[in-house]
Amino acid sequence: MPNQVIKKIKSSGMLGPIAALTVALFGGWSGAVMGWLLGTAAGFRSTQGKIIASPKMGAQIGAYAGLNLGVWFLVASLMEGLVIRPLSGQSPTNLLMPLLSGVVALGAATLAASLMAGLQGIPPGKKRRANQINLCFVALLFPFADAVAQTNWIATIIQILIFVMLALGLNITVGFAGLLDLGYAAFFAIGAYTTGLLSSPQLDLEWNFWLVLPIAAAVAALAGLILGTPTLRLRGDYLAIVTLGFGQIVPVLFRNLIAVRIDEPISKMMAAVFNRPELAICLVGCDRPLNLTGGEAGINPIGRPSLPILGEFQSSNYLPWYYLILVLVVLAYFAIGRLRNSRLGRSWAAIREDQLAASAMGINLVNTKLLAFAMGATFSGFAGAFYAAYISAIFPSVFDFSISVIILCMVILGGLGNMTGVILGATIIMAADRLYLPQLAQILKGFLNTAVLPNIANPQFRDFLAVSLDPLQMRLFLFGLTLVIMMIVRPEGLVPDATHKAEMHSSDAEAKKAIASAEG
Amino acid sequence: MKQWQQPILYLVAIYLVLLLGPIAGLDLPRIAGDIASNPQVLIQQILVGLVNGGIIAIIALGYTLVYGIIELINFAHGDLYMLGGFAALTVISSFGIQDGSSLVAALPAILLALVISCGLCAGLNMLTERFAYRPLRNAPRLAPLISAIGVSFIFQNLGLFWGGLKAFIPAMGANSAAPKSFPDLLPRINIIKALGIDSNISFTTKDLIVLIFAVALMVSLHLFVTYTRLGKAMRATAQNRDAARMMGIDVDWIIALTFLLGGSLAGAAGLMVGLYNNTIVFTMGFTAGLQAFTAAVLGGIGNIFGAMMGGVLIGLLSALSDQYLSSRWTNAWVFAVLVIILIFRPGGLLGENVQEKV
Repeated sequence: MPNQVIKKIKSSGMLGPIAALTVALFGGWSGAVMGWLLGTAAGFRSTQGKIIASPKMGAQIGAYAGLNLGVWFLVASLMEGLVIRPLSGQSPTNLLMPLLSGVVALGAATLAASLMAGLQGIPPGKKRRANQINLCFVALLFPFADAVAQTNWIATIIQILIFVMLALGLNITVGFAGLLDLGYAAFFAIGAYTTGLLSSPQLDLEWNFWLVLPIAAAVAALAGLILGTPTLRLRGDYLAIVTLGFGQIVPVLFRNLIAVRIDEPISKMMAAVFNRPELAICLVGCDRPLNLTGGEAGINPIGRPSLPILGEFQSSNYLPWYYLILVLVVLAYFAIGRLRNSRLGRSWAAIREDQLAASAMGINLVNTKLLAFAMGATFSGFAGAFYAAYISAIFPSVFDFSISVIILCMVILGGLGNMTGVILGATIIMAADRLYLPQLAQILKGFLNTAVLPNIANPQFRDFLAVSLDPLQMRLFLFGLTLVIMMIVRPEGLVPDATHKAEMHSSDAEAKKAIASAEG
Repeated sequence: MKQWQQPILYLVAIYLVLLLGPIAGLDLPRIAGDIASNPQVLIQQILVGLVNGGIIAIIALGYTLVYGIIELINFAHGDLYMLGGFAALTVISSFGIQDGSSLVAALPAILLALVISCGLCAGLNMLTERFAYRPLRNAPRLAPLISAIGVSFIFQNLGLFWGGLKAFIPAMGANSAAPKSFPDLLPRINIIKALGIDSNISFTTKDLIVLIFAVALMVSLHLFVTYTRLGKAMRATAQNRDAARMMGIDVDWIIALTFLLGGSLAGAAGLMVGLYNNTIVFTMGFTAGLQAFTAAVLGGIGNIFGAMMGGVLIGLLSALSDQYLSSRWTNAWVFAVLVIILIFRPGGLLGENVQEKV
């Protein structure tokens, strides 16, 4: 039975429902922006597994897929304007507006899809480059579309990109090298705090962000080595608990390093023995204990990056931040892709599959494992540095265990080891959590307030309904349920890596094909 | 590593601990002075640690039972224990029992709460096993782990929801996320004083009851696993599932039974902690679960005695660290000790030595 469900989802694609949901929740011109983004995806999807002879043929296939998607937009747009708006107590509109925005969304989806699908018809040598250029075009122009359509998604997109970066980094440790890391947020914290300490008034160091960025990544990498060293000999679950412990210790550290004083122990002992206090050597915080991390209050304000022409990045202007994190993510994507196919990356795959065999083939297990932790940590160091500068304040409570778990879930939901999948996983989880759920909550609240609650006489029951039907209260529940269902229906993730998929369905015929293609 | 390098490495490590330890409260001369000037505090903290350790051990047993049989870190176990606490509070408060009610009057309610919270947790755990873990039994290790994390989130949210049911359960108070006060029912007669010893140490009947209850649970679990037919079947399934199946053991049922046992232990622990700490909150499952899980790993996960020992060790460590190091650093110290022990014994204290050859 589940197999049939999967086939159905695969054939229809999740794009249509996502499109409809977006328009139904956000209304307005959101369909146009989403039509552009999803249309590009639909165009690419529609050509997968087909032989596209020419750009024209691709464009035709893409246009069909885009139209298909556009119908979802149109219907949802009409639904939003005619049903959801009045019911949830928002200002009603006339028929023209939803129809117009639906048609625009349909047009955007069709155009984007046929463009993307048309590109697939280009001869193979240039196709890859054309695809990249098109995606860059979409990513670069997104903020303007967002501004024109007044959807105001850019702040959330920046958050999403931070998590994409983190998920890509964790994917190195867990997906490539197969080392389960349950404390990944610690490296994120270390990157952020390094930035916080080096470019804030906390220690009177206000270094330039561009200098601090690589330092933060290096410090995080060093922390990765430090974590890696004691865990080398540990097996699966013991490794998991030690990384979890590391993830717990680091926030405690940042929470409590508020009165640091370090004395040199040997001289202190001598001073005590000979009863001559002047012998004791004090190293740090002698006159008054050093407040290193600001405790619960965190570090604030943290210096922002600046560029020659643009000047200092402002918190009110999202554009430079968006491009900065975009550049970081793209660089990370290419770096990690190269890393995976390098000698080191192949060593990771080897120790993931069989450590003993890998070792027999002459792979240095110690170095390879340590580098997996260090490289994974590096990227979260970058993400942490960006995050600290972007928020301009950091607190220890941001880097809880739950963040580690959510990043891990992004990696696994997206598809362990597959970079596209990981990006998709991070985007879906973050967008659902930060974008769709709050909007859904708002609309549901409006709906309850206008249509349901006034009709309920019992005040206690009314309060109960108002509180308990808030989707934001059900965040964890929905997330947990998604995880469980995903694991049962599709344990290999949304976009599975061929070898991982083969492991997950070792008996399926489909998987045998996957193994064959992975080997071939 | 070369032979002569090892002692140098240890010396460097000791020097670093002496250098940096005082930041996190590890100031040996001060601690020695504290203990020498008032040794009664040390005994007091050991008693506190024992009682807390007993509770941690009960939760740790739930982790270790499940791990022993299907090698799954059941992340949801801590949250199950939290739900046990909520169930117990609901039952007890529905009898109109509040702070200061006499123990005799409250006893039937407490017993009923025990039955209901054990039953609820056992049922929930079995349901979880059936629908979230069983389909993944032959999947790679990561899949059931993620599933367990998902179930843990679901349980945590259920606890939050349960805490918001003030319309039906007045004891839940106004705010759904706020800690709930649990009626204080166990008598607090200081046994040390009652024995006629004059000291500042307090060890009340409340501590004793909780300790006895914890020990009784552990002993009966041990007896069950060692001496009954079902216990034998559990051990066989843990050793080799296929061989057990060939010997005519219904492996699915035995695994379900393990979850039932683990769940009822969680329910009992939930009631016990409610009665002992007199406060429950929906996030307590996470913290307690982490501690208990650490305890199980410390002792060697999958090993029942290891979980008991690990629980008591963690309890003692936390109590002593709260007193002599710094309560703000206790969490870090607990994990630091765990890491150090795992470096030297990668399979935990009592676990079989399963290390990667590096």
